[in-house]
Amino acid sequence: MIRLASLLLLLIGLYGVLTTKNVIKMIISINIMELGVNIFIISVGFITNGVAPNLTEHIDSSLSNFVDPLPQALVLTSIVIGLGITSLGLAFARKMNKKYGTYDLTMIGGMKDE
Amino acid sequence: MNNPVLLIIIPLLLAFVSVIIKKAGKWILLLGVLINTVLAFFITTGETIIGGFLPPAGINLVVTQFTLVGVILINSLMLLTIIMSIDLVGKYSVILLTALAGINGMLLTGDLFNLFIFMEITVIAAYILSAQAKKYHHTITYLIIGSVGSTFYLLGIILLYHLTGSLNMADVAAKLPLLTTKELLVPILLIFIGIGVEVKLLPVSGWVKGVYAHANRLIAPLFASIIAGTALFVFGKLFVSVLPLSDTLTMLILVMSVMTFVFGEFAAFKQKQVKEILLFSSIGQAGLITALFISGLVYAAVILIISNVVSKLIMFTIAGAFTEKYQTDNYHSLSGVFVHNKITGIAFTIAALSMTGIPLLIGFYAKLNILIGFFHAGNYVLPVIVLLMTIVEGAYIIKLLLALWAPGKEGQVSLESFAVEKKQLLSVKNTAICLIVALVLIVGGTLIDTTSKIVTNGQPLLGDESPYFIISQSKGGE
Repeated sequence: MIRLASLLLLLIGLYGVLTTKNVIKMIISINIMELGVNIFIISVGFITNGVAPNLTEHIDSSLSNFVDPLPQALVLTSIVIGLGITSLGLAFARKMNKKYGTYDLTMIGGMKDE
Repeated sequence: MNNPVLLIIIPLLLAFVSVIIKKAGKWILLLGVLINTVLAFFITTGETIIGGFLPPAGINLVVTQFTLVGVILINSLMLLTIIMSIDLVGKYSVILLTALAGINGMLLTGDLFNLFIFMEITVIAAYILSAQAKKYHHTITYLIIGSVGSTFYLLGIILLYHLTGSLNMADVAAKLPLLTTKELLVPILLIFIGIGVEVKLLPVSGWVKGVYAHANRLIAPLFASIIAGTALFVFGKLFVSVLPLSDTLTMLILVMSVMTFVFGEFAAFKQKQVKEILLFSSIGQAGLITALFISGLVYAAVILIISNVVSKLIMFTIAGAFTEKYQTDNYHSLSGVFVHNKITGIAFTIAALSMTGIPLLIGFYAKLNILIGFFHAGNYVLPVIVLLMTIVEGAYIIKLLLALWAPGKEGQVSLESFAVEKKQLLSVKNTAICLIVALVLIVGGTLIDTTSKIVTNGQPLLGDESPYFIISQSKGGE
């Protein structure tokens, strides 16, 4: 279920990237795509009724229902990269708006550069 | 001394140093690239484990002969680019050092997720570098295509992790043949799309024209030869030695590669700007190289990468100088420019002819190996396409060279007075470097025994046992 939801988010994001013309909306769509992938990554390691993968005296270490910790580490990295790209994209969008006076990518095609 | 991790750490460390000491930025950059190039020559093949955990649980760097060629080639080219265009570095030294760290990481890493991280480091640096031309809509197009591509790549490797329980390339490569082709179809396709953005394959190479066509003397060779070369080496590593391709996938990727090749060459033929000719020709060559990797002709592909990135380094540097000095790179308005700059012109001509595959140059040796390899594999369709495209390539290169060397219109006597006004294109230092690199193309193409010995070191690259052409031994040399 959670996987379907994450893939749905991915597709919504992809649809947004393909159909919008506004740069800010495109960047938000990419964010939604990344969110979908991140949720998918988490869902890969998820086990119903699993326990956190910590070795303590309260938890029997012979249990095999540990949640996989690796996807959680991966998702942290992926979130940070997503943040970096979003902020960079927004900075470029702002610069573009300053130069051409629009956020619409299709408007710029025929414009003079100066 | 010969720990490959230094190749990633030193530029990264110096990147932080150059943030603090902004004024010495370009000298720190030069120092970093110099150290890296020297170190690249001293690393040896083998595996380096990082962090003390044994792979597949831990992270490792893998140096094979294939990556060794890539690391030495890319670092040396980076050094040459920086030396030639150090006056343009300005505030970009941090970005260039970070890009260098990312590039070396991409070439060396033995882990799929690490590859994702290093790829992101490199492409984020590339986004910032592409903004140098102040054509922000092109940068944003690149950023959007690039991030969608890397999201696909991430999803692909996570699916592989889900299927195999590992992200280590060697481990994944050992476990994947146990899975059915149906299970592998989606992850491999997603990874292919992700890498394809950087390799510049057809459906996802829409960003290339905007970014390359406005890049300057520093950025254009950086994109066309360094980042593109790295992406091709990574493509080769992944699709030859890690991911098993079913027949359907091989066919699909091969068709896309060949389409890219044909489209790129024909598009290059139609262009009027020097940089646009070169960028479409890069797209075409990238398509041919991926087709070679998919067909298993690793040696031919590596020689073609070397020939292509070295030629593109010279040509894009000179094309960047055109826009710098004449404010245009339309070859009609540059007629006879090489009459005033003969040595620069000779370097450009050697690079261009090597790209077309004129004998005695390394490009010819690459094409020879491609044809021999395909014929040995019993493939008679691709050699025809390669030869036909060589004609197209020759046509636009000769048209370009003629316009740049001979002033005046067609049918006129070519006099120096018809040429564009006299300006020195490149400084003496840069002209010398361009000429020396061009001579390397000749030496590499004539002493092919030495070339093959340096590239292969006597071992097959990535297990490629297909014959290649050398004179002294009879191994495949008909």
